[in-house]
Amino acid sequence: MKAFTSKLVDLTQKNAEKIALQWAKDVKTNLKTYSYHNEPKDKITGQAFEFYNNFQEIFFHESPYERAEEIFKKYANERYKEEIPLHEAMYALILMRRHIWLYAEFRSLFDTEVEHRQAVASLSRTILMFDYIMYIIAKEYWNLMKLEMSTH
Amino acid sequence: MQSSYATKLIDLIESKAENIAKQWAADVMKHNRTPSYHSLPKDLVIEQGINFYRLFRQMSLADVPYEEAKNFSWKYAEEFYQQKIPLHEALYALILMRRHLWLYAEFQGIFMTALEKQQAVESLNRTILMFDYVSYQVTEKYQELTAEAVNSKLGIVKTFLIGKLIGGTKSIYKTGLMLILLIAACALTYYYHSTGTACLFTHLFYIPIILAAIWWGKKGIVVSIFLAALILVSHALFLNEVPFSDDIVRAIMFIVIGGVIGWLMESLKKLEGLYEPFT
Repeated sequence: MKAFTSKLVDLTQKNAEKIALQWAKDVKTNLKTYSYHNEPKDKITGQAFEFYNNFQEIFFHESPYERAEEIFKKYANERYKEEIPLHEAMYALILMRRHIWLYAEFRSLFDTEVEHRQAVASLSRTILMFDYIMYIIAKEYWNLMKLEMSTH
Repeated sequence: MQSSYATKLIDLIESKAENIAKQWAADVMKHNRTPSYHSLPKDLVIEQGINFYRLFRQMSLADVPYEEAKNFSWKYAEEFYQQKIPLHEALYALILMRRHLWLYAEFQGIFMTALEKQQAVESLNRTILMFDYVSYQVTEKYQELTAEAVNSKLGIVKTFLIGKLIGGTKSIYKTGLMLILLIAACALTYYYHSTGTACLFTHLFYIPIILAAIWWGKKGIVVSIFLAALILVSHALFLNEVPFSDDIVRAIMFIVIGGVIGWLMESLKKLEGLYEPFT
């Protein structure tokens, strides 16, 4: 089972740049991520590339939530400083997750019957990691807004 | 094939909505990432869960599932905003709702065969899509509600702003009005000082001082300094025999009041900027 989940993450890691490019193209035109439309393509591709690289690290970490908290607090801080509204930052993450899956499907990673069986476990683990990340980012935005309001 | 499988899952969710909602409520009311739920009435929490699970069928029947999801999402966001539940906790509660749905389906053994496992991927993707819509809509609505609350609290101040806070498209009118008020202040000072008439006309100077602070923030202190200098110079020219002390106090008060209001308005501007992306 672990070998299969490893296969998905390895694929994401090895093709991080391609997936990041596809994501950037999507996020720059998607109606739910309006704030990204005028951002330079290289800049947002870099964000996704870094995200996919970090994703592998938390995926196999023995304390994924704690590791995700260390990494994605910084990510939330950066998006907050760029004045990306939280709902758009969240939707951009949703698209990042979808693009992992789309790329895996495109590369026919789940062709056989056995692989389909394992795909459920792999998908569940990916979703769990994204659940952690989304919660951490929403919480950090909340804390940053509270901090900013208390200083004014 | 996918359709019949999806129907099977939807039927299970709908018929067992209350059971799943109860399991979710028990979890969310003691989970360490959702502490604000710990003290909520259990019935209210269960009702939220039931509404979420019933949404699954409503969305599957809707022509535009995204629009259908709004019926649930907006109500959910409004209820939890009113109860002052932080957004990240409301989102985590949604995550738990989705997990419990899946756990229940697994517990009921509807993914036993290899074929069902294959179809389960499709089903899981559908569940996630629904959740993605709901989490996006809840986040957007929650922020809208926060921004609306800030805007309504700023309402009275905004009435004075004539457009955008500090500066903005109508700044030419503000400058024009300020010039008129300053000319009037010069005329009043000249009239009352040159004739030696005792009148508390300087209280009227707080109108341009306050307006300048509201419109231009800290920069508005220039108006306070100008008016302070005006009464002191005028005093020196026309009221030699009267002690300076009263006008010195007035001049200091102009600058203090202008400075404090200007500083407050700058803070207000930053607060408004904080919520601007959501409005």
